[in-house]
Formats: sequence, structure tokens, C-alpha cells
Amino acid sequence: MPVMPRRKRKQFYVRRKVCRFCVDAGLPIDYKDVNTLKQFITERGKIIPRRISGNCARHQRRVTRAIKQARLLALMPYTPIQPVP
Amino acid sequence: MRRYESVWVIHGDLPDEEVKSAIDKFSRIIAAHGGMLVGLEEWGRRKLAYKIQGTFRGYYVLADFAGVPATVKELERNYRIDDRIIRYHTVVKSLKVTPEALQAEIAAKAEVASKAPAPAPAPAPEPAAAPPEEAAAPTPEEAGPQAAPPEEAASLAKED
Repeated sequence: MPVMPRRKRKQFYVRRKVCRFCVDAGLPIDYKDVNTLKQFITERGKIIPRRISGNCARHQRRVTRAIKQARLLALMPYTPIQPVP
Repeated sequence: MRRYESVWVIHGDLPDEEVKSAIDKFSRIIAAHGGMLVGLEEWGRRKLAYKIQGTFRGYYVLADFAGVPATVKELERNYRIDDRIIRYHTVVKSLKVTPEALQAEIAAKAEVASKAPAPAPAPAPEPAAAPPEEAAAPTPEEAGPQAAPPEEAASLAKED
């Protein structure tokens, strides 16, 4: 049996994601702080999962709650604004 | 007493006098129902993230106050009655706060305001001794649907 040249495995560069709120303990999670929360939603207004954002479970829960509170006050969108026909 | 924070979104298409009178009205309601207004922060007119009652503009006001659950109950009842308020949100910041500590904070704030350029003397009278009436008589839990759920209040208390 011919020995196949070992195919080089595809390289994945998985940068270890760390929870931003754990690294910087002083960083507050607040529903009024829209600029910080904006970093955790997509352009469509969806909350970015922990898998992607790298937040720890505890802080993800707080971020999620804050985003939902901000949405209620119309500080953040539920969906992108529909163009007016 | 408890420390609360309440954001009011007032209809943005109203004239300034209407907005002022609404702010006055709710400030008075807080004072009249066993509350104590510590600070009132006006964010002014902002664009809403979505349309509410046919408008994209809202006048945001952040009220920082202390009171008892009945204060919030009455306040939220009035939010729902008043057409000028299009959204509101009340959050418990701290479960134990003494009137004396609040007085000190209000006084410190007034002092800072009077001599604006002077460096602020850091007032930190937040967690004071347990207020006797609150500790003695456990008040019925929470007020409106918008008030923070008990778990949040509990976690807040723990963090303090």
C-alpha cells in the first residue's frame, strides 16, 4: 500500500476568546450604556451568542438582560429600521 | 428605603413646556408618596430605535430616587395613565438606604453644583447602617411589572 503523503491539516487560528468583562473588572454592564451593548448585537439587532462573543456565562446573562432592557426603552433596536415606502 | 432609578421616555413631538410640566408632575409624585428625589438627569431629545406612537423622537429623563415599594407602585400607575409617557423603566439600585445618607448625598450634589469648577468631594455614604423601619417590617415585594425581578434585587444586594 502506497503511503500517501500526509495531507497537512487545515490550520485553524482559534484565538482564545476571553470575557471582556472578566478581564476588565471595572467595566460595568448597564442598559443605559448603549455604545458598549452595541458591540454585542449584529447588524440585524440580534444578540451575539456567547460562542462568538466569548463572554462568560455570568456576564453574557447580564449583557442579554441589559440589551433587552435597552430595547424596551427604544435605546436599541429589536430589528433594523424598515425603510419607509 | 430603597434606591431606584427610573427612565421616562416622553413623547418627543411635544413642546418644551409640556415636557417640563410632565417632569415636574412626576417629580412631585415621587416626593408626595414617601420618596426622595436624589437626581434628575435629562438626556434630552433622542432618536428612538423604532417607531412608538407614530414618532421616532423621545425625550429621555433619568430619575434617581429613593422610596418604598408603594412609591414605585403609584409612580408606575401614573405613567400608565399619562399619555405623554411612551415608555418607562424602573430598576432597583439598592435595597437598603437611609434617609440621612441620602440627605448627605443631595447636599454634596448641591455643593458641587454651586461651585462647579471645584473638584468634587467624593461622597460615599452609600451602604449605611440598616434602617430600622425597613428591617423591622418586611414590605410586600415589588411594585409594577417593570420593576426589577426579585433575583436581580437579590443579586444586587449580594454585590453590595
